[in-house]
Amino acid sequence: MKNKRLLAGPYLFWAVSFVVIPLLMIFYYGMTTETGSFTWDNIARTAMPENLKALGIALLLAFVSTVICLLLAYPLAMILSRKNVNQSSFIVLIFILPMWMNFLLRTLAWQTLLEKTGVINSILNILHLPSLDIINTPYAIVLGMVYNFLPFMVLPIYNSLCKIDADIVSAARDLGANAFQTFIKITLPLTVPGIISGITMVFVPALTTFVISDLLGGGKILLIGNVIEQAFKQSSSWNVGSGLSLVLMIFIIASMAIVAKYDKDGEGTAF
Amino acid sequence: MIKKAAEKFYLALIFILLYAPILTLIVLSFNASRTRAKWGGATLHWYQELFKNEAIMSALYSTLLIALLSALIATFIGTAAAIGIQSMKRKFRTFYMGLTNIPMMNAEIVMGISLMLLFIAFRINLGFSTILIAHITFNIPYVILSVMPRLKQTNRHTYEAALDLGASPLYAFFKVIFPDILPGVLSGFMLAFTMSLDDFVITHFTKGPGIDTLSTKIYSEVRKGIKPEMYALSTLLFISVLLLLLLINFSPKDSSQKARKQTITRRSRALAFAFKRVIPTLLVLAVTAGGIYYSFQGQKRSKQKVIVYNWGEYLDPEVITMFEEETGIDVIYEEFETNEIMYPKVQSGAIAYDVVCPSDYMIQKMLDNGLLAEINFDNVPNLKNIGQRYMDKSREFDPENKYSVPYCWGTVGILYNKTMVDEPIDSWSILWDDKYRDNILMQDSVRDAFGVTLKYLGYSLNSTDLDELTEAMNLLIVQKPLVQAYVIDQVRDKMIGNEAAIGVIYSGEAIYTQNENPDLEYVIPKEGSNIWIDSWVIPKNAEHKENAEAFINFLCRPDIALMNFDYITYSTPNTAARELIEDEDIRNSKIAFPDDSELEHCETFHYLGDEADAVYMDLWNKVKSK
Amino acid sequence: MSNKLIDLVNISKSYDGQLVLDELNLYIRENEFLTLLGPSGCGKTTTLRIIGGFETPNSGKVIFNGEDITHLPPNKRQINTVFQKYALFTHMSIAENIAFGLKIKGKSKQYISDKIKYALKLVNLDGFENRSPASLSGGQQQRIAIARAIVNEPKVLLLDEPLGALDLKLRQDMQYELIRLKNELGITFIYVTHDQEEALTMSDTIVVMNQGYIQQIGTPEDIYNEPENAFVADFIGDSNIIPGLMLEDKIVQIQGVSFPCVDIGFGHNRPVDVVIRPEDVELVSPETGTICGTVTHLIFKGVHYEMEVMAAGREWLVHSTHMFPVGTEVGIHVDPFNIQIMNKPESEDEEATVIEE
Repeated sequence: MKNKRLLAGPYLFWAVSFVVIPLLMIFYYGMTTETGSFTWDNIARTAMPENLKALGIALLLAFVSTVICLLLAYPLAMILSRKNVNQSSFIVLIFILPMWMNFLLRTLAWQTLLEKTGVINSILNILHLPSLDIINTPYAIVLGMVYNFLPFMVLPIYNSLCKIDADIVSAARDLGANAFQTFIKITLPLTVPGIISGITMVFVPALTTFVISDLLGGGKILLIGNVIEQAFKQSSSWNVGSGLSLVLMIFIIASMAIVAKYDKDGEGTAF
Repeated sequence: MIKKAAEKFYLALIFILLYAPILTLIVLSFNASRTRAKWGGATLHWYQELFKNEAIMSALYSTLLIALLSALIATFIGTAAAIGIQSMKRKFRTFYMGLTNIPMMNAEIVMGISLMLLFIAFRINLGFSTILIAHITFNIPYVILSVMPRLKQTNRHTYEAALDLGASPLYAFFKVIFPDILPGVLSGFMLAFTMSLDDFVITHFTKGPGIDTLSTKIYSEVRKGIKPEMYALSTLLFISVLLLLLLINFSPKDSSQKARKQTITRRSRALAFAFKRVIPTLLVLAVTAGGIYYSFQGQKRSKQKVIVYNWGEYLDPEVITMFEEETGIDVIYEEFETNEIMYPKVQSGAIAYDVVCPSDYMIQKMLDNGLLAEINFDNVPNLKNIGQRYMDKSREFDPENKYSVPYCWGTVGILYNKTMVDEPIDSWSILWDDKYRDNILMQDSVRDAFGVTLKYLGYSLNSTDLDELTEAMNLLIVQKPLVQAYVIDQVRDKMIGNEAAIGVIYSGEAIYTQNENPDLEYVIPKEGSNIWIDSWVIPKNAEHKENAEAFINFLCRPDIALMNFDYITYSTPNTAARELIEDEDIRNSKIAFPDDSELEHCETFHYLGDEADAVYMDLWNKVKSK
Repeated sequence: MSNKLIDLVNISKSYDGQLVLDELNLYIRENEFLTLLGPSGCGKTTTLRIIGGFETPNSGKVIFNGEDITHLPPNKRQINTVFQKYALFTHMSIAENIAFGLKIKGKSKQYISDKIKYALKLVNLDGFENRSPASLSGGQQQRIAIARAIVNEPKVLLLDEPLGALDLKLRQDMQYELIRLKNELGITFIYVTHDQEEALTMSDTIVVMNQGYIQQIGTPEDIYNEPENAFVADFIGDSNIIPGLMLEDKIVQIQGVSFPCVDIGFGHNRPVDVVIRPEDVELVSPETGTICGTVTHLIFKGVHYEMEVMAAGREWLVHSTHMFPVGTEVGIHVDPFNIQIMNKPESEDEEATVIEE
């Protein structure tokens, strides 16, 4: 049986080569100047007002989107888990199928929908309703984040809801709890791993995105992701970009730690 | 009942949210107008065009090939790893699962960047293989996480029973364990395939020249306006997958109660069958067919090649085909969005481009940093077609006319909608007019935004004076609430679609937008503006210098320059080509070919040095983050 | 016994057009230990869930103490359930599990902690308050599930195959435990099982169900000794069920041979099913038997020998304390009062079928 463990060997090699070492590279670049000498400057740049603001807005928008995703996803997951739908067809419908339309195109389509003379406003116009003026604002970015990351919240919650034995809910009702008490005392605590995993799976990409703010924010709202992307792709200051990435990784590592704490058995994983 | 209705309503809302953009894209694919901002009637034109568009088809093929290969390799490595991890002690298992979680939890941008740094540090040429490696890396965790739960459920006793009955461990594994975990393996594969298909960020950072996936192709098109063929392709992909699923899901209905139960199982079995067999088989077939087709194409190709790095949408694709046919030199074509994106790629030397098309100030910077090779003009006899006026202008950044050949030129000005703006516009001051709050489109690049403002203030747009720059910055901050959006080439679509009243735009775009929307007018403000030249240069590390010169020479041929002018509508410095323009209005267009008097106050951008660049960047970031 | 506590009147229930219960009528008296027995899919669990309030019947009424509770939600009923797979709340400690119902009722802290102690003592798990459910064995979890239900002092305790997941020895122990509990608590138990031995051991009354119909209601003795149809006979213990012909009162013809019996009123020459328990078949010398046969199989079962005898083309199952080696020619004798005559089922719905577990 010992040789079975060797099967993980290629993976270990791969993960070290293409996950661990690259992260160390970021670390190296983040802590050095262009000439290769050690410095804290790149990380200290986070404290510059504009970078701090980009980070602050990114945190705020990511937080808001995560909360909205959670509020939208939980009822959805509950309805679906009670419906007895075939799990694979459900995943396909909300998760796999839309992906065959490219992510950039889907996000771009929101521009067409939201613009001042766009589809939604044309419809509102015909109905003589006040127009919706959110394109190029943080609201549009939040919408884009919710739209793109909602499935990542639904799936883990749905999975953890499906794992709850129907008898457990019956038992709580049997012991005198009404529907609301049952939800608060039984269903909700039992889905905590799913919720936590959903939160991190939405929060991290929302925090670090640069594409959504690019496409829906009209270039007026700079998130930390945009700052990093610019550092690499426009001003070619890799050291600064790496330094900012290191700061970003603090949040990512914090998320991982939270997941590890609440979801020890990997119960909340989406897949 | 009310509860049921509310549930249905809620589900409907979510599905509208999820599918509204998809529906929009499908509708756009039938739009006869080239721009998404205008409905020009229904057409199937783009579906025909799609199959003729080699760039999109090859992006599609690379996308599918990368998705398939990365999913396959990830499935092998991941499944093996899952089996290995499952048989480990708890301590090691935790370690491995932590390792697996890193790519899952890590931000895409951090992962993309980290891989890019690795590839460049180890001098691995960015290209197909680096994208593949990156995709495999983020796909493996999906496979592991799909297989692990299955493995946990697998009964160890059945495996031992098989051993007991004389099976070898390998045989026992494939006969007993593998069928048990197969659904997990397959769903891992599917998931990996889809993730790879939809990825943009990581591909964005790890791709190299001559290769585009659909995502990166779309991203480079975003700024120029998405080609409608792309909508058609996405619609086809989406509809075919959807149809396949519907076909499986809706076998003829049986009315009798008893039969229903059977149908359901039959359906789900069919669905499972589809996912296990049909879809993968179709994909393999498609990709193999594509592979044969492309390798067949490849055989025709000679070993001669030239790697071209150009702005997006800045060359008629037909020209490339003609060049390849006439010279037998294979063109590997890559696009960039801004000078600033192009520079580090050339500088790092990770990719040996043969011919690049930067703007004036960037050419100066590249020259200063010794990145350019002298062009052997004996190989470029068609240089004679380029007007002397433009060669003289070029001396500002290429003092001896040794390193560059002008390709396109133009001005930066104001495009405005006559129906939305009352007064005649002749000054940059309109950009600070509160009347047009939320109706102004500003350029989203440092030099253009500052250039406009500096000119408005009466300074040089090459100013390095901190006071002048600070003044400009403050003015830009004042302007920010009035600005609807900071964009680059999207000004075009937005102005055509009547989204804004005023936009700062390159003169080349003006002609196109006027054709689409006659209400638009272009003006060079009286304070003066930027006159720019994009020229072809050859980097020092070019490996096919003579081919590059042949390419430049080809582009200088009047008929070819005319083709490009018709395609991109940017002013050509090729006077011989200008003579060939049939439409008199365009040949004498003030927008395309302004008089010298209009250009009196116009300047070209200069390279200001790294320090000044950093100052500009800092000030710009302050504007953007206000 | 005393008056009706629960009365089920004309209960019908179907899922997706499939009828699970059809016009079921049943009453349960106070202090009764009533068992619903039948193969899976017979409707016994559905019946239990209707009493518990987890399902609403499509038609019919549930009367509890004279009140119609058909549409009362489970949390408002004076009934508690012990679930098949215990359904303990894994995110709570044992004490929190037991206290769950009491906390909702707003009982005082002192009352709750007293009750927890009492309940744990009752199920022999004193001192388990702070353990987590996952750390307990199956049997222990089962006791906690029972403790959690009974602290609420229900009038009726519903038990849905509570011993199904336990091993044989533990199951037997728990059977005695349940009887003791019922006697100590003095409340009504409604018990669902597919295990006939469990039903026979513990119940005051057994309700045998199949395919949504009640097949027979009676004491364990009635059910075992006088099954009313071939399904009950076959489901309860081992039986020889043989097609026969009722020649006249007190004479039945089996395999062409006339057997004297005690049943009357079946008419003349009516086809019937004849049920004979294997322990009621006496093996005698060939000459003295009613019919003759040969022993084909022999197994020692501890208390008795189990044999199969081939007689006139039919296997007879025989339990006897006397051993007859394979190949022995034997005669078969059955005392008249050990022959049970049953009508052949008339409709397909009553068809006696055993559904595989």
